[in-house]
Amino acid sequence: MTVPTMDSPKGGQARQPFYFNTSAHLLRAERETATTLSDLHRSLERCSDKSVFQHTFRTLQEHHFLRQGFSNDFAHWVLSGCNQPELAEQLAGVDVRGFTSITDLREALLRIVGDYLRRNPQAASSPSREPFYFCATDIVVIPTPFVANNLPEFLDGLRHVTVRSIHHHFIEGRLRLKLQSNDFSRWLEEEVDLKDPARAINNIDIYTGTMEDVRRQMVRLLEAELA
Amino acid sequence: MDPTTKITISPPSPDSPQADSGTAAPTGATSPIALPDRRKRLRIPETPPTPPPPPHLDDYRSIVGEADLDELRYLARALKGRTMKMVNSTAVGGGVAEMLNQLVPLLNELEIHTRWDVITGGNDFFEVTKAFHNALHGSPYELTRQAQEIFLMYNEQNRQRLEFNEDLVVIHDPQPAALILGHERSRAKWVWRCHIDLSHPDPDVWGFLRPFVERYDAAIFSAPSFTRQLPIPQYLFYPCIDPLSAKNRELEESEIQRVCDGFGIDRTRPIVTQVSRFDRLKDPVGVIQAYKMAKQYVDCQLVLAGGGASDDPEGAAVLREVEAAAGNDPDVIVLNLPPWCAFEINALQRASTVIVQKSLREGFGLTVTEALWKAKPTIASAVGGIPNQIIHKLTGALVHSVEGCAYQIRYLLTHPEFANQLGRNGREHVKENFLMTTNLKRWLLLHHILDGRAV
Repeated sequence: MTVPTMDSPKGGQARQPFYFNTSAHLLRAERETATTLSDLHRSLERCSDKSVFQHTFRTLQEHHFLRQGFSNDFAHWVLSGCNQPELAEQLAGVDVRGFTSITDLREALLRIVGDYLRRNPQAASSPSREPFYFCATDIVVIPTPFVANNLPEFLDGLRHVTVRSIHHHFIEGRLRLKLQSNDFSRWLEEEVDLKDPARAINNIDIYTGTMEDVRRQMVRLLEAELA
Repeated sequence: MDPTTKITISPPSPDSPQADSGTAAPTGATSPIALPDRRKRLRIPETPPTPPPPPHLDDYRSIVGEADLDELRYLARALKGRTMKMVNSTAVGGGVAEMLNQLVPLLNELEIHTRWDVITGGNDFFEVTKAFHNALHGSPYELTRQAQEIFLMYNEQNRQRLEFNEDLVVIHDPQPAALILGHERSRAKWVWRCHIDLSHPDPDVWGFLRPFVERYDAAIFSAPSFTRQLPIPQYLFYPCIDPLSAKNRELEESEIQRVCDGFGIDRTRPIVTQVSRFDRLKDPVGVIQAYKMAKQYVDCQLVLAGGGASDDPEGAAVLREVEAAAGNDPDVIVLNLPPWCAFEINALQRASTVIVQKSLREGFGLTVTEALWKAKPTIASAVGGIPNQIIHKLTGALVHSVEGCAYQIRYLLTHPEFANQLGRNGREHVKENFLMTTNLKRWLLLHHILDGRAV
């Protein structure tokens, strides 16, 4: 259990408020397409950072209601379009939260596809059932009416914002922070001295539940702190 | 015709008084349709009902929630007072006009002053643009100099007639695409909204239109697979449904029951439904084959509901093929309905256990969106925009053959928990991506992005 400090008691004033934001995305078609795994590798090298972001980080938000079976667009296409379950599993195993930069994420994806094609060269040029269309996303950040000056207000915001806001802070946040953390955990740790809940929130598994499940877990953890 | 299985309710012929909107019979008039005894309670209006007033933003609160409406209002606040013009080729009929009828009032409510203009043209123009439309969908076409001249002449006439003083001008589809030639005398950003699948266009027609398209500031397509390689940004706006429309609003159980009773559908037994016009590309005969295969293992009824057989010779021929394929099976219920039976279609979809869309080719496939919105387990072909909506085994089932369709019917009818989960996921997918409010948000975002406010 975290021990609150004198100037930031549990449920007391935070040093800095937490502003709940959200982000709105508009999808844009990119030039790259893939009709083979070899194309996928080549296009992954060339496509924009925004495209890698769209097909990994962003697609999780688009499919926030799925509890299982969906990780990122590349894994999905490799299975449904190319019928390569081993590579699909490897790509699906990439946890975007392990990355604080798109460059690192792109390299990891390229390494997985490249290694697989070296071991299975016959798979490189098999035509897929349907093409993979690389897309990118343009983002506009939007404030919400929720601002938290203390833990109860933070909980209230957490209960009421959209799942897009939770994704914005909890998943996309690490690209802004360049840390293996998220906006929520950082605020809990730095502004209200709740290190243990901050760590527990950061460890919530986003791939085995919906974003609403993630919200519920966060709320439960913080309610326990206030109890 | 087997009187127990097929119902045809014809819309008025094009030259009948009812077909002229200016002299339409009083709205709400109904005709007792000659039906078998068990269906005599059915009453279908003979004329289209008066459309309800367009909804206000607050009407969507119970569906999408306050936070979503807050986002829309925030995005609009920075754009307050902006002006926008939509231009298309028809004020009534067709999906584009239907969408604009809903969207334009919502944009105006948010104080994005939006005007909707419709281009004019003679029969020769619309014959050319109809041919262009089909050619862009991939039909063979011989592009003549005369057709090009007709297209350009009417575009020039409209360019002279219309003013483009707005901040954003949106040109819908190919018919008015050459209005972009007015770009130079306008301060507006110009965007081409293409509702057509351009994946396999006739090269001559696309080659003729492409130079116009390339002069726009951006283009918008309905799915990634519909785009072309262009030197301008291509945004993706999925088509949408309005959850408050007669086709999609929530219904009372009694309303659903009344429609099923009227059509002689037994709600105590599983119902498999395909809603689509009688068109070979919708493969209604393939659906009957799949139903027959499935029925060897699991009891069900098949409802094929649609239209197009009364005013289209090909549709009538397809309906005859469907009736022949159905034979004397009393559990195959074929409904040839007029286009204004949105409420009845809604009720049929909501009464269904499983919904099928076994198209051979498809645009985006809004009937799939409608089915998913009603949380129905949906089986659909992996064509057109359908894979954007159905993620196999997660939001529905994608199939590639009659046999695959039959298997999925069997599986979903015998695994109701899995079927219900697909339905719930499908509804969430639509809520996130394919509702009118999401469409509205995309337009607001486009303003912001063209202003350079995106990251």
